[in-house]
This record gives sequence, structure tokens and C-alpha cells, in this order.
Amino acid sequence: MTYSMTDARLIELIETWGADPASWPEADKAEGKALLGAHPERFAEPIAQARQLDLMLGALPEPEMTAALAQAIMDAAPQPKRAGGSLSRWIDLRTPWAPASGLAAAAFGLLMGLTVAPAASADDDVTAEVQELLVSALGFDPANYAVEDVE
Amino acid sequence: MAFASDLDQITRAAAGDAAAVRALVSRYSPGVLSLATRMLGDRAEAEDVTQETFIRAWKALGSWEPRAKFSTWLHRVALNLCYDRLRKRREIFPDELPDHADTALGPQDTLDQAQRVKAVEAAISRLPERQSAALTLCALQGHSQNEAAEIMDVSVEALESLLARARRTLRGELLEGRNAS
Repeated sequence: MTYSMTDARLIELIETWGADPASWPEADKAEGKALLGAHPERFAEPIAQARQLDLMLGALPEPEMTAALAQAIMDAAPQPKRAGGSLSRWIDLRTPWAPASGLAAAAFGLLMGLTVAPAASADDDVTAEVQELLVSALGFDPANYAVEDVE
Repeated sequence: MAFASDLDQITRAAAGDAAAVRALVSRYSPGVLSLATRMLGDRAEAEDVTQETFIRAWKALGSWEPRAKFSTWLHRVALNLCYDRLRKRREIFPDELPDHADTALGPQDTLDQAQRVKAVEAAISRLPERQSAALTLCALQGHSQNEAAEIMDVSVEALESLLARARRTLRGELLEGRNAS
């Protein structure tokens, strides 16, 4: 086993990294601990001083994050990107049935208007044009649902 | 493991995943705030630096290349922002030195905990900035030697020298006077 740790290097480690071997650099840790364990009296004073300083540093309070600061940081974070162009902003892809059902309703209304609308007569209160518009808008002809039909 | 989980969260955060953003902020903002507070000794300025650090991170997420750990990169950005602010302070107040007399430690039994904390914080704030950074990263935040050296962009030997000088100064100011009294 190559043993390269010296008293001087161990004192340097203690003074630089503190009294706890866990905080020493990995490369020096094992050999440093071995030397310290073998001759603790040689390093008692630097260990005691380092421990005092470690305690003082360890007693410093950690600054606390406030909710406001965390929120401000998160508000500046990237936002989800919307896929596609401007059309996709109008047509929400999470509810693809919505625009489809609108188009179907319009087509059905047009069909109903063309096939089942009664012929206009001079006695009607509304003009043929208005009736056609009404049928298209509703999707059915209210005249077909007159009270006498139900009876 | 943390590195792999960072990569996943960075990718999701870059796409606007709010949970990934929250996780990154929760994991790393306390360390960044702590570093900035120790370096600047001013809470408001430290908060500004923390916010600015993350704003830069958010801008970089889309083109993030994992050459370094995300935490190392964040701390380096924060540290450079702190150096900038300290430099500006020196330009504006070139003759101003941190107060020394009223924070020196007296006999141990006359000091309460709050006074001791204040004295230690004042002693750290009087250190040269790179020594203060080395001490904060290694002794207070527990970064490994290599990580701290990478954050500070110095060699491991240079880091050890900065840390040794920082602790020697603190020992002289905080312990030797006290032990002599």
C-alpha cells in the first residue's frame, strides 16, 4: 500500500475542509482518516479549531424562499406551445366533435329546409324568404310540428 | 440519477410543462438564493439575482446541451451575476468597506446566538469575493470539490487555495481573538 499522507497535508485538509473527514476531498479521505485515527493527539488542536469554525458556519440560517419569489420565477417560465397555425386556435383539438357537430347541424338544416318546407301561399304571414331562413337556422320546419299533427 | 432526472425535467419544462418547471424551481432556487445572499449580503439583491438566474435558464432550456449539470450551470450564472453586482458596487462606492468594528466577536459567554450569526456573516462579507464564493459553495452548501471548482471556473487546486485562505481569515477574526480573550 502506498501511503502518501503526511502530517502537514492532513493539517492542511483539516484547516481547509473542516474537522469532519466527510467533507474532505475523495482523493485524500481514506488516507487522511487513517493517519488521524492512528495519531489523534498530533491533530487535536487543528481539529478543535476547525470544529469551532464548522459549528459557527453550520449555525448560519438558510435564507428562505418566499412563495412570491417562487411564483415570479415560475411565471417567467416557458409556456406550452400551441400546435398548428391560426385555424387550430379557433378549433380546439381537445373537442374535435364541436366544430363537426356544428357543420352537421348546418347541413341538416339546409337539407330539411329544401325538402320539407311547405310551399308558400299568399295567406302566409311570413314571406317565403323569411321561412327559408327560419328553417335553415333551426334545422327543421316548425310548420311540421303544428298542434294538429300531434293529435 | 439526479442528472438523468434533470434532463427529463428540463425537456418537459422547455415544452412548458408546469409540473417540471415547479420541480426545477423547488429543487434549485433555495441553493441559488442562498449563494446570492451570502455573496451579496442583501436579501433584495439576492432575490433579484435568483430571479434573473432562472430567467436566463428558461431562455436557455430550449437549446440546452448537457455539458454540465444543470445545478452547476445555474450556480455559475448566479455567481457571475453576483460578481457583476459586487463590481458595480465598487465602482459606485469605491471607498466603502464593510463595517468591521461592531461585529467582532467578544468573549464567548457574552454573545448570544444572533450576535454570533451576525459576526460570522459580517466576516464572510468582508472576504474577497472569490474566497467568499469558495467558502459558500464548499463549507455552507456542501458542493463537492470538483463541482465547486466547475461553478467557479477555476482549477481544484485554486479552489482549495481560496478556501484555505477564507477559513484562515475567519479563524483569525472569529476564533483567535476570542480564544485569546
